[in-house]
Amino acid sequence: MTVMIALAGNPNVGKSTIFNALTGSRQHVGNWPGKTVEKKEGRLRVGDEEILLVDLPGAYSLTAYSIEEIITRDFIVHERPTAVVAVVDASNLERNLYLVAQVLELETPVIIVLNMTDVASNRGLKIDAAQLSRRMGGIPVVETVGNRSLGLEPLKQAIKQVTENPPLALPQAQYDGVLGAEMAALAAQITQNPVLVAHYQPRWLATKLLENDEAIVEALEAQGETELLAAAAAAQARIEDATEDDAETLIADQRYTFIGDLVASVLERPSTSILTTSDKIDEIVTHRIWGLPIFLLMMWLVFQFTSNVSAPFLDWVDGFVNGTIYGWAGALLTAVGLGDTWFAALLTDGIIAGVGGVLVFVPVLLFLYMALAVLEDSGYMARAAFVMDRVMRWMGLHGKSFLPLIVGFGCTVPAVYATRTLENEKDRKLTGFLATFMSCGARLPVYVVFGAAFFGTASGNLIFSMYLVGIAVALATGFALKYTVYKGQQPAPFVMELPPYRLPRPLDVWRQMWERVQGFLIKASTVILAVSTVLWLMMAVPGRANAGSFNDVAAEDSLFAVLSGAVSPIFQPAGFGSWEASGSLITGFMAKEVIVGTMSQIFVGEEVAAAEVTEPASFGEQVGEAVLGFGEAAVLTVQELLNIAPRTINLLPGVTLPTFNFFGIEEEVVDNTRLEAALIGSFERSAGSAALGALAAVAFNVFVLLYVPCMVAVAAMRQEFGNRWTLAQVGYTLAVAWIAAVLVFQVGKLFI
Amino acid sequence: MNEENVTLDQLNPGQSAQVKKIHGQGAVRRRLMEMGLTRGVQIDVVKASPLGDPVDYLVRGYHLSLRKAEAQLIEVII
Repeated sequence: MTVMIALAGNPNVGKSTIFNALTGSRQHVGNWPGKTVEKKEGRLRVGDEEILLVDLPGAYSLTAYSIEEIITRDFIVHERPTAVVAVVDASNLERNLYLVAQVLELETPVIIVLNMTDVASNRGLKIDAAQLSRRMGGIPVVETVGNRSLGLEPLKQAIKQVTENPPLALPQAQYDGVLGAEMAALAAQITQNPVLVAHYQPRWLATKLLENDEAIVEALEAQGETELLAAAAAAQARIEDATEDDAETLIADQRYTFIGDLVASVLERPSTSILTTSDKIDEIVTHRIWGLPIFLLMMWLVFQFTSNVSAPFLDWVDGFVNGTIYGWAGALLTAVGLGDTWFAALLTDGIIAGVGGVLVFVPVLLFLYMALAVLEDSGYMARAAFVMDRVMRWMGLHGKSFLPLIVGFGCTVPAVYATRTLENEKDRKLTGFLATFMSCGARLPVYVVFGAAFFGTASGNLIFSMYLVGIAVALATGFALKYTVYKGQQPAPFVMELPPYRLPRPLDVWRQMWERVQGFLIKASTVILAVSTVLWLMMAVPGRANAGSFNDVAAEDSLFAVLSGAVSPIFQPAGFGSWEASGSLITGFMAKEVIVGTMSQIFVGEEVAAAEVTEPASFGEQVGEAVLGFGEAAVLTVQELLNIAPRTINLLPGVTLPTFNFFGIEEEVVDNTRLEAALIGSFERSAGSAALGALAAVAFNVFVLLYVPCMVAVAAMRQEFGNRWTLAQVGYTLAVAWIAAVLVFQVGKLFI
Repeated sequence: MNEENVTLDQLNPGQSAQVKKIHGQGAVRRRLMEMGLTRGVQIDVVKASPLGDPVDYLVRGYHLSLRKAEAQLIEVII
């Protein structure tokens, strides 16, 4: 049997650094069953022993406050690890030991890792680790400096020692007076009950009952333990009578008293407190005047990072999958005699195109996760929440909600994943919900084409108003939810630590990037493959009698066109009830920029890009090109990274610095005149007149902005928030989009 | 100095106080105590955020930020 060790600790104590250092690459990342909280497991070898190390979510306490804390507690209570390695921030000993005291109450052997001893000594704190170990009944106390892998060997030795010779007696907070007596009596009563003893440690359960722990009380109610619950309530009443204080307060007080005594005997504080670098940084970053501009600058940088810096690799992946791989697959299929068959079309147009649609998000997500990891690990994220909380609370959100919303202007997919930085599940879901209304980069090409077609030089007004409409709908939705679904609910409390600033470790940052992208690839690809296959099928199946055969049917005769036509009357009140408009909205679910592609396919025949026929290159040349392209993308990434500087400075009014352009690439100007003319014609027909055509175009753009974000975003939401919430969101966005589009058209009509 | 019923939100940056009692109920109250706000502990008001709320406090050697709504639950002795 392998020995199981759990790694526990407060958030921001460098737990994952220790986990990574101990297990190296031998780790597995998944989710806790039924939860969206990451579960990390790893293996390490100590002597001859193979050890399974489970990284528990960061927790301040073992009460039922957050999902993370419930998971941590249930794991220790029910899975009974051989020992818990408790990572403790040496510069913040008292609060960190509160969790340790609770783990010890679970009668689980503990190894204390005093991490960040360097930070502690910078603050002039001297900790006597040997004395701490002695005072805690000899449990091992190991000093480490997490980001320099110091002290790992002693930690392994301590694990070995505890697994081979588990300590007999563990130090525990002593509860005295009435509280202690009542607790002992309750524990004795629990000991008589074999069912409970099989699941819980009696004294711990007694403590939880006196603390009124919701999860435990509910579990016991479900088991029909009314007698015990009544006894606990009676004990609470007696304690309150005797001490004029409730049991919960007394327990917390006495735990901290126990910790206070311990700390007093091992910690030497400097006579005057030292102003650390972290404090100095904070004086600027959360400054009364500079705090907000610095925050906005950081958000701008994150946005630049996820949209512009990731763009070169995005283009490369797109070209490689949808160009090179697509071409190879086609050639291969032709070589084996399957060219031009429905199977070939399914594989290339359905599956490869679908997979390509997923893979293009990888660069974006890698850059987003890098930004997030740096913000989190450095400690800035908590400051961002501190600075922005007041504004976000207005919409019923948390200070940390701002970042996902900003990222949403780049792409909804990373925005949904960015909600993970929020602790509270309600905040996460609500933020994800609102983030979809932030107009993402893929919606922009639609506004651009329509703006140019209908408004010419004034197209900027259309584009800008779309962004405003998105924000307005998000605000309105936030308010609506606050006063309906969440009516009467207290906002989640804001009790947030501002951890000391720290330099993020590249290896930890990289691990977070890679793990999360992996999760995305696995979860998203199933949904996306299904959707793209279904869409392809609808395009390939004839929808009218005598309109061709399977995989050989004109676009307007396909099942897709027929279905789009059937849907189109719904959009008549919004002025765009043509099958072309509905059809492009359906394909727009794959990715919103596809709307433009579909329209040009329908109206102009072939997409402009597809019309360029180039000389077929040899396999070797293509590989060479792909490699060169990769190198070029790398150089362009550096270019975009450098360009952040001039772009940021250019935000100042009246300044225009040139941006770097290593390859002298000129912006491609796509000639859309034919498409634009066709669009105008189509919208004027469906709306009824020339003036109404432009209005219908605006309504159409409003619909594009608001309706279901693309399937990748839906897949991301499903991964993060579950099926029900995702369905509700899809339904809501469709309804809001329709209502808004109809409103624009009908109200606009009154003025024309 | 011993004013009655002073709550933490009434203090200004630079002031210090001792926790007397945590009001409120359920999860919030327990959370405040778990974070170290127990009777007699010293709490220093460090600074308010740029928009005035939340406020950064120093307690048991670390920085804790609380909204006014939570700070109102904490009765202190100056």
